[in-house]
Amino acid sequence: MKKIVIALVGQPNVGKSHLANAISGSNLKIGNFAGVTVEKATARLSTEDFAIEFIDLPGLYSLEDFSADEKVTKDFLLTGEYDLILNVIDSTNLDRNLMLTTELMELQKKMVIALNMDDEAIKEGININSDAMSKILSIPCVRVSSKLKTNIDLLVKQILHVTKNSLVTPKLVYSDEVEEQLQTIVRFLDDKHFRSPNSLSNRQIAVGLLWQKKEIYALMHEQPLYIELQPLLNNALGHVYMYCQCDDIEEVINRQHTAFAAGLGAEVLSVSKVKNRNLTQKIDTLLIHKLFGLPIFIFLMWGLFQLTFTLGEIPMGWIEDTFGWLGETIGESITNEALKSLIVDGIIAGVGSVIMFLPNIMILFLGIALLETTGYMSRAAFLLDGFFHKFGLHGKSFVPLVTGFGCSVPAYMAARTLKNKKDRLLTMFIIGFMSCGARLPVYVLFAGAFFEESMAGNALFAIYIIGALMGLIAAKILRVTAFKGEDEPFVMEMPKYRLPSLKLLWFVVYSKSIMYIKKAGTFILLASMLIWFISSYPKNILIEEEYATKIEALQAQLEEAAPAEKTEADSEAKAIEEATANAEIKEPASIEDAIAALENEKHEKLVERTYLGIMGKAIEPAFAPLGFDWKMGVATLSGLAAKEVIVSTLGVLYSLGDEVTEEDTSLREIIASNISLASAMAFIVFVMVYLPCLAATAVFAKEAESLKYTVYLVIFTFATAWILAFITYNIVNLLA
Amino acid sequence: MVDLSQINKNQKVLIKQIHAQNTLKKRLFSLGLGVGKEVEVVETSLQKNTIKVALGFSAVALRFDEAKMIEVEAR
Repeated sequence: MKKIVIALVGQPNVGKSHLANAISGSNLKIGNFAGVTVEKATARLSTEDFAIEFIDLPGLYSLEDFSADEKVTKDFLLTGEYDLILNVIDSTNLDRNLMLTTELMELQKKMVIALNMDDEAIKEGININSDAMSKILSIPCVRVSSKLKTNIDLLVKQILHVTKNSLVTPKLVYSDEVEEQLQTIVRFLDDKHFRSPNSLSNRQIAVGLLWQKKEIYALMHEQPLYIELQPLLNNALGHVYMYCQCDDIEEVINRQHTAFAAGLGAEVLSVSKVKNRNLTQKIDTLLIHKLFGLPIFIFLMWGLFQLTFTLGEIPMGWIEDTFGWLGETIGESITNEALKSLIVDGIIAGVGSVIMFLPNIMILFLGIALLETTGYMSRAAFLLDGFFHKFGLHGKSFVPLVTGFGCSVPAYMAARTLKNKKDRLLTMFIIGFMSCGARLPVYVLFAGAFFEESMAGNALFAIYIIGALMGLIAAKILRVTAFKGEDEPFVMEMPKYRLPSLKLLWFVVYSKSIMYIKKAGTFILLASMLIWFISSYPKNILIEEEYATKIEALQAQLEEAAPAEKTEADSEAKAIEEATANAEIKEPASIEDAIAALENEKHEKLVERTYLGIMGKAIEPAFAPLGFDWKMGVATLSGLAAKEVIVSTLGVLYSLGDEVTEEDTSLREIIASNISLASAMAFIVFVMVYLPCLAATAVFAKEAESLKYTVYLVIFTFATAWILAFITYNIVNLLA
Repeated sequence: MVDLSQINKNQKVLIKQIHAQNTLKKRLFSLGLGVGKEVEVVETSLQKNTIKVALGFSAVALRFDEAKMIEVEAR
């Protein structure tokens, strides 16, 4: 079976991914493209035994490396290995899309053009004569609609046809004067029998030289004939400048391309009625309104977090019950104590506490996907740029920052849309302040434990807002200290509002959920087992026995129903002496209470002597000023692996260390009764700010291309988190 | 010289020249803000930080600083 690699290229918002999805149906798999983290979507099509592989390149307006992700696309097109370019065009905006097409044509590669969004174009009365266009360009052009799936088969047929046949040079014609100069250069190269080492045609070289492309200059500069070529080139450029009455080559190129695109448009495009087109305009008069725009935006965000909490609450209860039931049922059927503890307290408690938050995660990712696909994201950037600019950020920083609410990993990658390196790094430093989806379980747990149900959604919203505000302040501080420099210009397209395809939305939410479940099933499962192990071993039989005798003694007294003095208690260890003292004080109340207290103390002492306890005790002094007990300290450390692990660690630690009775099973209640409000708030603040998980940090290092900045990130986030948590702890303590 | 930042809302103008540096100029070109194009200012933000202009079938958002670099001529 022959493999065809197709580079999907197009301007942003033309529906590239959607088209790939439509072509391949449900066979589409998205994975990471080795090296440059471009998403590679692979689809296997059985037609004629060809396997088609799509490389979904980031959208770009032109082949100039304006931003880092556009550079990725450009580099791939110039040096990557692929069989053909599938140029996706938004039919409702042919003029501007053709500007990129003309640049792609200059690459002299096999190419097929998909005139996408045909359904929308028809509605707006736009008709493109694709046959005429194919003839003019010598490139097959197919009108398709990824939404209605029209002409998809024809497109695939054209792709196969072009792949099987040899390259037909695309016809890109410049104005007569430019063509004349190109001819002169080509003739010179031909006369010298020049053959380019990387199989570029002489016309391509001539175009590259005239357009002053760096790569071509570098290539030609090494050739001996450059000495003779140079005066010729000078002369040609002079003619072109004179003709265009302009001495900026970029402007000349732009005019040439515009003229070609306009000419082509005039030949193939006919617009019959002007209808529907102003819908976006009408929505925008409200959504980016001077006064109402921002309040509407804040309301939408608030709604999203309310929904995340209230709607997510319902299935959360079911999942919690299911895992509770599962734990009990399995627990009853296992006789081996150690194995039972591993499965019930380790695996089920750990994985269950993470899976429980799946509904919240799904709603959050759906919200972010909606923001992105409808086109509202760029409106938000428009609204916020003024505000962001004051803090030294860029309106476009909004996109990676919002993505950061989902997961920091794609957020770091999304920061590539920022051109300026300093703006990009600054934004990446701030992304951590946008609480990612993995931190959501921690917040939901604590918000649920310390706030009324009606207030929990607001508390959640407040946590996110406060995090974001702290991020802005940190941005300002970094901007005036570490990242001084010029501002990046704010120029950005406002795409049309579009109703997203349900299929694509489902695809996004589904793939994120699967990723989350996989993580829970593998990584978090292992982490839960590890934490269970280090929190159960080494077993301390001595303490167990001592407490057992103590409890037995009390029980015996209870049976006698005589509140006698209790001086005969064996006092072998100091710890037990203390315990006895405690028990004696409590004795007048009730012996049963004393037994329960002893039971708790036994667990406490046991856990403290495990590996985890020893580790926790060692780091406790560092966290003590924040009001964290050693369990919370350990949880924050384990959260470095993945933030969800914080919850599973707490789940394992508190279900082992405390008496879990029938009426007190929920982790939320255990936490509410074991942790003070001040410590809890400090804990939330710490989790909000401290280093994103290790995976995200690795991506940061890769994207920032600098070890130095990665080290800064680690120090910066830990220091900020500690200081802010310290302040929070003390303020809440003062107020309470 | 009249630049785009001085244009009132809902006014249509022609782009005469772009006084931006290399990269920014290319970006403006590729977003459709070419010399000779007709544009309309459709929205400005509260503190006059950003403006939205409509051109042909698309719309572009700019900061006022960038709008100042675009020389225009009223129709």
